[in-house]
Amino acid sequence: MILEIKDYLDDMRRCARCSLCKWPPLAQMKSWRFSNNCPSIARYNFHTYSGGGRMALGLALAEGRLDTITDEMLNIVYRCTACGACDSSCKYNAELELLWPIYSTRAHLAGMGYYLPEHSLIIDSLRKEDNTLMKPKADRGKWAEGLDVKDLSKGEKAEVVYHAGCLYCYDPELSAVARDTVLLLKQAGVDVGIRGSQETCCGSTAFQLGFQGEFTKFAESNIDDWNAAGVAKVVTSCACGFGIMKSVYPLLGKEMKFEVLHITQYLDDLLKQNKLKLSRSFPARVTYHDPCNLGRKSETYVPWKGEGKKVLGQFILREPEKVVHRGWNGIYEPPRDIIRSVPGIQLVEMERIMEYSWCCGAGSGVKQTMNDLALWIASERIEEAKSTGSEAIVTACPWCEQNLKEAVKAAGGNLMVYDIVELVRRAL
Amino acid sequence: MQIVVCVKQVLDPEMPRSAFKIDPEGKRVIPPKGTPPVISPFDENALEAALRLKDRHGAKVIVISMGSTLAQAVLRKTLAAGADELILLEDPAFQDVDSFASASILASAIRKIGDVDIIFTGRQAADWDSGITGCAMAEELGVPCITVARKVEIADGQVMVERETEDGFEIVQTSLPCVITADSGLGELRMVTLPGLSAARKKPLRVWKAADLDLHPFPSRSRLVDLYVPKHEAVCEMIEGRTPEEAGARLADRLHEEGLLQPGGGRGERR
Repeated sequence: MILEIKDYLDDMRRCARCSLCKWPPLAQMKSWRFSNNCPSIARYNFHTYSGGGRMALGLALAEGRLDTITDEMLNIVYRCTACGACDSSCKYNAELELLWPIYSTRAHLAGMGYYLPEHSLIIDSLRKEDNTLMKPKADRGKWAEGLDVKDLSKGEKAEVVYHAGCLYCYDPELSAVARDTVLLLKQAGVDVGIRGSQETCCGSTAFQLGFQGEFTKFAESNIDDWNAAGVAKVVTSCACGFGIMKSVYPLLGKEMKFEVLHITQYLDDLLKQNKLKLSRSFPARVTYHDPCNLGRKSETYVPWKGEGKKVLGQFILREPEKVVHRGWNGIYEPPRDIIRSVPGIQLVEMERIMEYSWCCGAGSGVKQTMNDLALWIASERIEEAKSTGSEAIVTACPWCEQNLKEAVKAAGGNLMVYDIVELVRRAL
Repeated sequence: MQIVVCVKQVLDPEMPRSAFKIDPEGKRVIPPKGTPPVISPFDENALEAALRLKDRHGAKVIVISMGSTLAQAVLRKTLAAGADELILLEDPAFQDVDSFASASILASAIRKIGDVDIIFTGRQAADWDSGITGCAMAEELGVPCITVARKVEIADGQVMVERETEDGFEIVQTSLPCVITADSGLGELRMVTLPGLSAARKKPLRVWKAADLDLHPFPSRSRLVDLYVPKHEAVCEMIEGRTPEEAGARLADRLHEEGLLQPGGGRGERR
């Protein structure tokens, strides 16, 4: 257990029900149409579905005021992608923790044996097959068959290990992106290896669903394996994996003898060092979707324990000083710089970007357990992308890509969805 | 044919080591946050045995579980895997009961169900590892009991069970009804599927309180005296020698001194 619900009692009690967690800050709002930031409250329009409402529910649970945990209550708890938009908005004004109380509420419930039946499929698959997709463990390395790349699980050594992530390994359409990534890295002269069938899930979904025990096992095992392999860098294409490795892995207290990078950071560096040159034109007007886990959720979380003192009757001063995670230090510029470096491309921004970005809808097990909600959230993003006059939406996360593609297919239309690596490969 | 499978909800034996904490004063393990309870693994094997018989011969499989607070999400997995009905024996009176009392309560429920041909359970539960409940339940019901089963077959109203022994297996035959306790060699519980989960929502789930059962008094026969996490201390001693042969001879002497090696190749006394 990393942090418990009781660690957030003060935050939950201080929530003033101001509802500012439901929208981006006023100064960031550009139109009425795209003024929501929380997919859950936007869809269900009842306070409990918002960040503040979830704090009230968590507080009632922590204080033992709930006689029974009903199925509907569980539905509310899990009809949320844990995208963290409420957290960023709240911290614009009030500096309360919202995302971690959401995580802790789920962990508290899971510890008591309360979760959705569908979650047992995900967790059983994780326990038996080391992935959340109910796919055989033995097939995990198949995406790399025929690729001339070092396999660190067979004792080979490399400076960089490429962690493809569950979705890139098993989805036949997406695994082309993983292959492209390895080819790009090799072309740039990077000493790269993979872990083939021995690669395992990062544990992100388990963590976000509240199964923190299961998460801890996978996270500790990954850290041990990468330390033992002697790699200097772990590079991943999966934003969810990157987010959890950056923000939560350090909390486990294990030494991490490697640096964690998202592929957009690594490719951006390679392009700026002229190790990769994009020469082929890609004349298109595109927009970029910030994955939550690459953006606001990728800041390393620093838990705070201390005392809050009220001064002048209203301000709370915290001793010791608290590190406030506002989402400002996410990975926002590297993917944009990569897109801008593609000849002929025109990058236009949507209204909700960076730390106030609208979620794609796939996160936190919502894609696997509530596909209708996932697709509704994605369709809102598609509308926003279309409003910029873009021909394509580019992203840097397999979950976003898969969900956005499905939403485009369901709605019809010509909007293209690209993975950023695919864009780079086309422009080489 | 009607089969009852007794399953126990236990703390996850595969929880991270750092999550395992006990309350020595209260003599209890503190349930970890973020790690849900699970069905005891041998009980999952028992359910698989019942489902295989159902696949081959057709049967109604009823799962029963007993405790003071039971997690429906955890136990509904049995319905999703293929069981037909789930009965929860849930009552504050069932908290911290020992194996004999558990057997007595479960036997009452089985009598209430009536016409049961086979009762399956795991060879032992993953929390206390007592391995008593199955046998005690058979005693209470007055039926034969076959333990540590790795294969179960039915023919001509008789049940044939392959049971694990230290150096192999033996085949035991008995009449129905009987109690069979399952071993892991029987095979893992089948993977639950999404259609299985949907079907489980429509299957009956009943909750029986203590008052719903014709319970004999079930005084506990065991008492928990102490609960602590044993300390494992490892001491590394390097055995030196001028030659490998000399080091080897000294190592043998040292092992013999510790009673870990007997002259003549015996296994020696375990310490």
